[in-house]
Parts: sequence; C-alpha cells; structure tokens
Amino acid sequence: MSTLRGAIKAKARPRIEPGFAVAAIIIAALLILFILAPVLAVLLRSFGVGTGELTFQYYAQFFQSASYFRAFINSISAGLISTSIIIMISIPFALYVTRSKSMLSKVYRGIGLLPLVAPPFIFSLALIILFGRRGVVTDWINSITGLEISIYGFWGVVIAQVLGYFPVAYMMIESSLRSINPTVENASQDLGASQMKTIRSVTLPLAGTAILKAGLIVFVMALADFSNPLIIGGGESFLASDAFLLVTGRQNLEMAAVLGVFLIMPSLLVFLFQTYLLKDHETASTNNSSAQNNPLNSKVKSFVFSISTLMVLFISLMFIMVILGAFVQIIGINNTFTLSHFSDQSGWNFLWNSVVVSFFAALIASGLGILQGYLSVRKNIPAKKFLEFIALFGLAVPGTVMGIGYVLIFNGPPLFLTGTVLLLVLNMAFRKIGVGLESGISNLQQIDKSMEEASSDLGAGPYRTIWRVVVPLLTPAFMAGFVYTFMTAMVSVSSVIFLISPGNNLAAAYILNLADQAAIGRASAMSFILILIVLACMGLLKFIEKRSKLSV
Amino acid sequence: MKFIFKSVIGLLLIFILSACGGNDENTVALYTHNDEGEMQAFASALEEETGVNIDILRMSSEASWSRIDAEYPNVGADMQWGMLHSFALIATEEDMLESYHSPTWDDVPAEFKDPDGKWYGWSYWFNVLAINDDLLDELGLDKPESWEDLLDPQYKGEIVLPDPGTSGTAFLFVSAIMQIMGEEEGWEYLKKLDENVGQYSQSGSAPAQMVAQGEYAIGITWDQAVFDRMDEGYPISAVIPEEGVGFDLDVAWIFKDADNKEAAKKVIDFIGSDEGMGLASEFRSMVTKPGMSAELDFDPNFIDYDAVWAAENRERIMEEFQNKFN
Repeated sequence: MSTLRGAIKAKARPRIEPGFAVAAIIIAALLILFILAPVLAVLLRSFGVGTGELTFQYYAQFFQSASYFRAFINSISAGLISTSIIIMISIPFALYVTRSKSMLSKVYRGIGLLPLVAPPFIFSLALIILFGRRGVVTDWINSITGLEISIYGFWGVVIAQVLGYFPVAYMMIESSLRSINPTVENASQDLGASQMKTIRSVTLPLAGTAILKAGLIVFVMALADFSNPLIIGGGESFLASDAFLLVTGRQNLEMAAVLGVFLIMPSLLVFLFQTYLLKDHETASTNNSSAQNNPLNSKVKSFVFSISTLMVLFISLMFIMVILGAFVQIIGINNTFTLSHFSDQSGWNFLWNSVVVSFFAALIASGLGILQGYLSVRKNIPAKKFLEFIALFGLAVPGTVMGIGYVLIFNGPPLFLTGTVLLLVLNMAFRKIGVGLESGISNLQQIDKSMEEASSDLGAGPYRTIWRVVVPLLTPAFMAGFVYTFMTAMVSVSSVIFLISPGNNLAAAYILNLADQAAIGRASAMSFILILIVLACMGLLKFIEKRSKLSV
Repeated sequence: MKFIFKSVIGLLLIFILSACGGNDENTVALYTHNDEGEMQAFASALEEETGVNIDILRMSSEASWSRIDAEYPNVGADMQWGMLHSFALIATEEDMLESYHSPTWDDVPAEFKDPDGKWYGWSYWFNVLAINDDLLDELGLDKPESWEDLLDPQYKGEIVLPDPGTSGTAFLFVSAIMQIMGEEEGWEYLKKLDENVGQYSQSGSAPAQMVAQGEYAIGITWDQAVFDRMDEGYPISAVIPEEGVGFDLDVAWIFKDADNKEAAKKVIDFIGSDEGMGLASEFRSMVTKPGMSAELDFDPNFIDYDAVWAAENRERIMEEFQNKFN
C-alpha cells in the first residue's frame, strides 16, 4: 500500500486545478476544526486552560483519588479481558465459517454480525433480565448450586463488551482467513503436519497481522465503551462513564478532560502503532484464490463448531430477550402479550431524527472522505499525510472525548452550534470520515490512472473527467463507506449524548435514557424498531446497488 | 448509475423538506426531570388544549441543572417543566428566570409560587421506600419501618439508592436526613447506610423499577415511581419511614432568554389550568391546586423540609458526599 503511494508521489507533481485546490483547503479546514480542535480543547482543558489558570491540580486529583485511578484500571483491564475473549472466540468462529460450505455457516455468519446493528448497550439490558440478581438464569443456578451470582459490576461489563464488539474482530479475521492461499496449508499437511498443527503454525501466523489489528481495534472500542458501565456497571468506576457523569452531573469539565486524556492516550498509542509500525506481511496470500479452501477434518471441525455454536446461541438469546421484552408487559413478571411499549410518540420522532442525521452524516463522511482520498492519491496535495492522519485519527478518538471536545468548542461564540441538528451531523460525519478516506484510497489504487489520462487525452477537462470517469468508478467505495457510517451512526451514542437538545434527540440516546429509568419494555421496543430500521436501510441500499449495476 | 443519483437526490429532498418542518413559533423546547411516560401524556393534552407543541429533553435533576448552568445565558430550552424547588430558588437568585403572572394560577396558594411569577410549583413529591414484599419473605428479612432500620446488617447489599451526583430524589433524601438528624449525625448515618447499599443508580425512579423486578429488596425513591409500579402489577409496596420524609415542590419556569416566550407562557397557563392540574393528579399523588388531588389513603408524615436551606447548602453537601462516597 505504502509502496504504491510512494510510487505515485515519485512522479512529477501534477498541477492542481483551482477547484481541487479550494476543495483541499476546505477539507483541511474542516478536519482541523471538527477532529483536531476538539481533541486539543480537551487536552488544554485538562490543564485548566480556559478557566483562567494553568495548573496540574486536576492531574494531581486524578492520582490522589482512589476512584479515578480505579476507573483507569477498570477500563484498561476490562478492555484487555474483553479483547482476549473476543479474539479467542473470533478465530474458531471465522475458521468454521470460512471452511464450511453448509447453509448453517451462512446463518452463523449473519448472527455473528448481528450485534453491529444494535445499540451497544442493549446486551446489558438482556443480561440483567437473564443474569440479574433475580434473573431467570440466576435463580436456576442458585436453586441447583446454591451460588449467588450477580451480573452487576466489572464482569457484567466484560460480558456485554464481548457480545457488542465481537463482530468487529470477527469480520477482520474472517476476511484475512479468506485471503490465505490454501496451497500453503496443503503443503504443510503434505509434509505430514496434522491439521491442528497446520492451523497453529501456518494459518494463524499468516493471519497474524489481521488478528493483531482486530485485537487493537476492539481494545480501543472496549476502552471507550461508556454505555455498558452505566447500565450494568453497578456503580463501578470506568473512565468513559465517569467522564460522562462528571460533565452531565457535576459540570466538572476539567476533571472530565483529565479522564479523557487518559482515555485517549492508549487509543493514540494503538493508532500510531497500527498505522505506522504494523506492516501487512500477507506475502503468501493471494486475493482471488481459485483453489478450494481446505475443509476441516472432523476433530478440528467439532472443536470450532462447538465454540461457534455457543457464541451463536448466546447472541441469539440476547436478541430474543430484547424482542420478548418489547412484546410482553413486564418480562419475567407479567408475560402477557402487549403492543403498548410501541405507542411511544417521542420515541418515533427520535427514530426519524436518527435516520435523517445518520443519512447526512454518512453522505458527508463517505463523500468527503473519498474526495480527500482522490486529492491525496491523484492530486498530491500538500500536507496530505498530515490530513490523512487527522481523518484516520478521528476513528480512534473515543466518542466521550470527542463529545466533551465539541461541548468545549461549540458551546459559545464564535461557533455557537450546540443544540443544532447540524452539530450532530458534523460530529458523526467527522468521526467516521476516515472510513470513506480508506475505502476511497484503496479503491483508487485498484483503478489504473490510464483511464483518467485517456479521458483527458480525448479532450475532457479535469472536472469532466472526475465526474464522468472517476465518480462512477468510485461508486463501490462510496457505497461501502456510506453503509458503514450510516449503520454505526444509527446506533452510536457516546459522543452525541453530549450534544442532543430538546427536539434534536436521537433514538440511541433516548433508549439509553429509558434504560436509565429502568423502563425495560419501552427500551426493548425502541431497540427492536431501531434494529429493524438499520436492517431495512441496509437492505434498501443493497437493492439500489443491484439496480444501479443493472442500469449501467 | 443514473438510478443511484436519482434515488440519492430524491432521498435528499425528502430529508431536507422534513428537516425544515417544525421549529415554528408554536413549539416550545423544554428540559424536564419528569419520567418520559408522564411527559408524553402532558404533551398530547397540551397540544389538544392550546395547540402548542413541546420538544422534550429528559435528564435527571442534577444533569438538568448542570446543563442549564453551563449554557446560561444561552440556555438550549425555553422553559423547564419539572424540577427541584431548590433549583428554582437558586435560579431566581441568579436572575435566570422570566417573570410572568399566569391567570390560571390565581387560586393556587401563594406558598407554591414565586411572588414575582418566576416559578410555579405544580405538584408535590416525596421520598418513600420501595419494598419488594415477596423478596423480603423469600430472603427472610423484616420489613423496615424507619430510616434507622435500614442500617441493620440483615439488609447488606439489598438496598439501592440513587446517586446524589445525578438524582434530585437522592438529593432530597440526603438533605432531609441532614435536616432530621443534624449534619454530623446525618453523615454518620449515610456512612453506615453506604455499607448496606448494593448499588447506586443514576435516576431517582430506577430504584423503584429495580425493586419491582426483584433485583433488590429495598429502594430509596419517590412516591409516584412506586405507585406507578404498583399499578402496573409489580409486587411492591411503599413505606414511609417513621422519622418522616422530605418532600419537594415540583416546579416549572420560563428562562429569561427564551426564544419563544409567548408559547412558553401558554404552557405555564396550561399547567395551572383545571385540565392541566387534573391530568397531573393522575400522575402525582398531590398537586398544588386546591381540590384537585385525590385523598391520600396514608399519612405521608412530612418533615418540616427547608428547601431554602437545601438550596443554600447544596453545593457543600454534594461535594462532601462525592468525597466521602465516590
């Protein structure tokens, strides 16, 4: 990837047309204003800048207070434990799905990805119903073994994180396993290694980079998790949730900023490591392997199949609890069927708001991201590495930090945007612009530049070329970025929770509020509809994609 | 290819049109600490009676106040409907509120409203204990009858209390304990209670719900949170501790910088009207308009709660609480 970009750079710098130059300047300004500035604002505020004095007192408080330091330890260890568990499940799960041709493996894949379309905290709700102090399963365990278990606290958060972030790691590991050339494995087995040994010493090392990458991304996500600790943490301190409570409950922006700094440091390290030190070394792999995948032998297969089945059952159970919760009076207490949880007028309005905001956010993130990718790859704009860095960094910044940064910057003159829909859209768009950028860059590198050269040789101007040649070629990248941003924007809550206002509330934040009032029925009903809407929108996009391919 | 652009442009137009609707002068933005269910009933009745729409953002009392304080003088809402009396006093002190003399409030006794019409108290609420009787039997615990009883080691881990850092219900509880026992003994009490608390929740209504679901046996919460759960068929009951409970006036006000004062005034008028108070009495055990509340079938045993003292000492008490228990 980097060698290719280097090759392009080595060519003579093409003249930048004024239109593209203006676009580059606008994108640079937006990236700095909506990604870099909020993060810097949090950093400055943690030293008291803005309150009139420069001080380390908030850091001193952080280390003196048992509770803040504990939040740090809790967040880090929950992140590490969730990540390890997720990776240990993802590998066998991905092995099973990629090596099996049965219908069942497709179903497993679908269920494994399902948590992506749900608000990240609904698993906490389902876990409480099942494993709460008097949950269905808890009672059962208690009556058999006499053990008193409680899901509230650290381990509840870990389990909820495992469920919520599993699909992210699974997707990355699956796609890397798919790209491994089976002939390598065949060679190993022909030389006498057992399949188990082959997987351990050939397959997994080949997928090593992808697994490490998946682990790092999941770790950053788990670290930034703020909603699960709120619902199931049982008052245990975690960095992101404590920072949120400090802002909303006690208006202590300085201390929240300090927690934000501790939240962002591990994320920044992981981001730098992954972007600049981690090189893809999938040399033995080919992308379009026509060779058959190595089918698993029965011993290995039964092992990976049982782990996958357990995970699939667990995920399904969680979703079933949400659906049941939505359709009965009070789950576990009064299990009569009802539709009353759905007659929630403001809930429906907020769902609509979410669709509108996510739609525009996805449009901006994907469109602008790809435009930036184009300028970066083809037009060789100045400081392009720096701008790419900011855009990708936006993906790694924990939502809570970004939210606090937006409160600090946009809550007063000259940029008074708090309370507007626009700010919600911009927040979501710029947190995800890196997705559009990455998919644009990788798509552009697959397109030979000669197409554009042919167009201009035939007399088309640069703008005509981009409109008639480049844009159609980049449509797949646009769609990929759009779908991903839309989906994540619909269910994201950690950043926008700081920015919502009367009339501009969003469904995910509303559901969190319902969960906070312990209104499980309505929270489940809203989650259920939200999941359906996300699935329906993705179906619609797939349909449009298909139609457009036919009509081209 | 063309199909894609057509569909995208079509969707864009729909969204832009829909986004431009609303936000007219008949829409009032408000903050509230009332539960969502209650506010939706108020919203539809209000629209029917006056044609005014409300956009609601629900936050717990402390979160509401924290937001108002941070945003002032550019508060993101026109008014507040449902808030602690103590905050009304602080907001009046800091001159954040608009004066308005609403005709519908004439027959509400003077003690429930500000003499300058800056805030209006529309209902009362008070602390109660939520008890899950089935669970108490199952666990073999005695039914607590006083605040003092809650310190009994038998309840260890079975009590859920909202966090005074976010919840007004918890703040009322903490300041009532201070007023009943005196500060020094009050802190001593809270320290012992902390050993029995299984969990601190964010919202003041959550303990009632958690007790109703059998997660915990005892919750410290407010009256209506328990009565609503009883109506919904949960196996819970309310207990008024022997030492008495703190009560608080639930208030509404208009912000001085409101964009939409005329519509906000209509909302205040509606709250004070017979329809508004009648509707509120369906959700609250006591409203401030004489003759509108149903008779209570128990003695609420109110202490002589001093909301002014609570307002004046709020910050100090909160800080000490956070230092001691966080």
